Amino acid sequence: MASVAYRHPRRWFVKLVIVILFAQWLVGPVIIAHADEPQPDPAGIATGDKTSTSDAGGTSFVVTEPTDKTAPDYGKNKKAFDDFQAQATKEPLVMKLADNVGHLRIATNFTWTLLTGYLVLFMQAGFALLTCGLVRKKNAGHLMMLNFAAYVFAFLAYYVCGFAFQYGGAAINAAPTNLGGTPTLNHFLLGGGLWGFLGGRGFMLSGPGYDAGVLCLTLFEVVFMETAAYIIVGAVCERITFGAFLLCELFMGAILYPSFGCWVWGGGWLSQLGQTMGLAHGYVDFAGSTVVHGVGGFCAMAISVILGPRLGKYGADGKPRAFPAHNLVYVVTGTFILLFGWMGFNPGSTLGSSDLRISVIAVNTNLSACAGAASAMFLWYFIFGKPDITMACNGMLAGLVAITAPCAFVSPNSAVMIGILAGIVVDLGVLFNERVIKVDDPCGAISVHGYAGWLGAVCVGIFADGTYGAGWNGVGATTYLGKAGQGVTGLLHGDHTQFFTQVGGATFMAIYIFGFTYLVFSLVNAVSPMRVSKEVELEGLDVPEFGLPAYPEDEIVNAEPEMARA
Amino acid sequence: MKRIDAVIKPQKLDEVKESLTAIGTTGLTVLEAKGFGRQKGHTELYRGTEYTVDFLPKLFISVVVPDDIVEAAVKAIADSARTGKIGDGKIFVTSLDDVIRIRTGERGRDAI
Repeated sequence: MASVAYRHPRRWFVKLVIVILFAQWLVGPVIIAHADEPQPDPAGIATGDKTSTSDAGGTSFVVTEPTDKTAPDYGKNKKAFDDFQAQATKEPLVMKLADNVGHLRIATNFTWTLLTGYLVLFMQAGFALLTCGLVRKKNAGHLMMLNFAAYVFAFLAYYVCGFAFQYGGAAINAAPTNLGGTPTLNHFLLGGGLWGFLGGRGFMLSGPGYDAGVLCLTLFEVVFMETAAYIIVGAVCERITFGAFLLCELFMGAILYPSFGCWVWGGGWLSQLGQTMGLAHGYVDFAGSTVVHGVGGFCAMAISVILGPRLGKYGADGKPRAFPAHNLVYVVTGTFILLFGWMGFNPGSTLGSSDLRISVIAVNTNLSACAGAASAMFLWYFIFGKPDITMACNGMLAGLVAITAPCAFVSPNSAVMIGILAGIVVDLGVLFNERVIKVDDPCGAISVHGYAGWLGAVCVGIFADGTYGAGWNGVGATTYLGKAGQGVTGLLHGDHTQFFTQVGGATFMAIYIFGFTYLVFSLVNAVSPMRVSKEVELEGLDVPEFGLPAYPEDEIVNAEPEMARA
Repeated sequence: MKRIDAVIKPQKLDEVKESLTAIGTTGLTVLEAKGFGRQKGHTELYRGTEYTVDFLPKLFISVVVPDDIVEAAVKAIADSARTGKIGDGKIFVTSLDDVIRIRTGERGRDAI
């Protein structure tokens, strides 16, 4: 860290005032809870009632009071509501049952969402093992610490403002009905209506954010953000300073991930393109091939470009040199843990087990994983004569990343195809990064998450078969492409608009994420270099950065070696 | 007294140890080492990039013997460590000035 310079008291005071004013502007929405605003429900008592009781098609059994007095059919709806009310008073037991059933449905979905969220949390351990095994022994502690700190600091940034930016306006266009609708998340800080850019409710998870439904959503979404956060470790490791890395994580958790996440999942403008510009169902990404993995991968790429390759990675002639993995046991174990966690990542994104598509999603996810691993392995074998273990693992992960967007919308056969494509993309991507554009990516994160993530979003536009997703992003609730109940559809099933929307959206993601990250961190790097010194890099970052070698018996330990010996 | 050092393949240690004790040597020191001789290294691929494997794991063993069994010891090591394939190793025989047993202070032949 740079030495502490003399601090000018007045400058610091001014900065402090600016920070406080900014915090007030953000936190303001926290304190003000108007009487006519939906009230938060921290105890979870009021979440899920008779209005949550619905049939398989999602139509509520209970008629709700029409709120818009200016609507043309207000009179008709009001009469229907009054008739229903009159009937309801004659059948109080039925209404109580409906209340109970509604509450139970929401309770089941809370369980589902939280438990699948915990599975995704466990993926942190998988990625830590995977990346640690792929690097050199002298950096093992450094990798573990990066993964650990990534979780800690990105989480805190997301708590302060990331979640609010991403989901502060969710109730407007993307209310999670499976969790009770989170009605308190109803304001865009930037933009509004169908053109939302940043959410504005739920800062510090307080006020309107302190609600049972909201916090259920928060837990689930924060672990997805953490996935994007740890992806960057795979490309920046072995040469980044710890301080610079923390900045990357705060950036990811506070603004980079939430901004794109708002546009696609928080009811923001990308998701509403179907309604605003007639672009099919808008930009669709079911569980986050681009929102999570693409963002992580292209952010990683930008920082890797700024840092430059590891010392000795490229010879004077420009030819790459190999830095073999120090522990393949960690690599494979880590990959399996990631696969297991993905069983929460994809099926969990329904936000409710009342949506029985979860089984299709789970099988599609696994099929793509295996097809990806097999295809990567075979292709590598044909090119190089031996199947590389690390590439086989990367192939499985690429298959998982690529199926993440389309998993709910495609058939098992399509899932296998997507996996095969992903395996090819990751193999060629790794070679492309290393040999052609010479971007050093120690763990293949850019190929596995960036390139395969882009592929995943595009595959929605190719393989989606319309059996799921009717009414997605507010388009085609009753009919779509002339068929009742038709869901999200791709090129092979007659919707070329969805294909172009997917290609456009995914490509836009790559450019935006790479560009924004590159801009911010070029400035950071100019102010204070993000790379460790040559001596530190050659020694390995474990001791110089953290004072602790991962495998101390390899080092000379000072005091009482007999006692400290393993 | 002579000191006999040998670089052998790790999997041959048990055989060498048995044959040495059979002819009457006492004691053996073993170090893990890596090395190569006239054989060149070979190249492997890691994620599509070549790297050379120059060094192979070896064991460096050391035993001190009285002059009368030097030749027998050398023959014992050579016969038990030989596989006939490249990389079997080498034996080095050097003269020793003195040997001292740390526990008792004995010197020379009594210390072996």
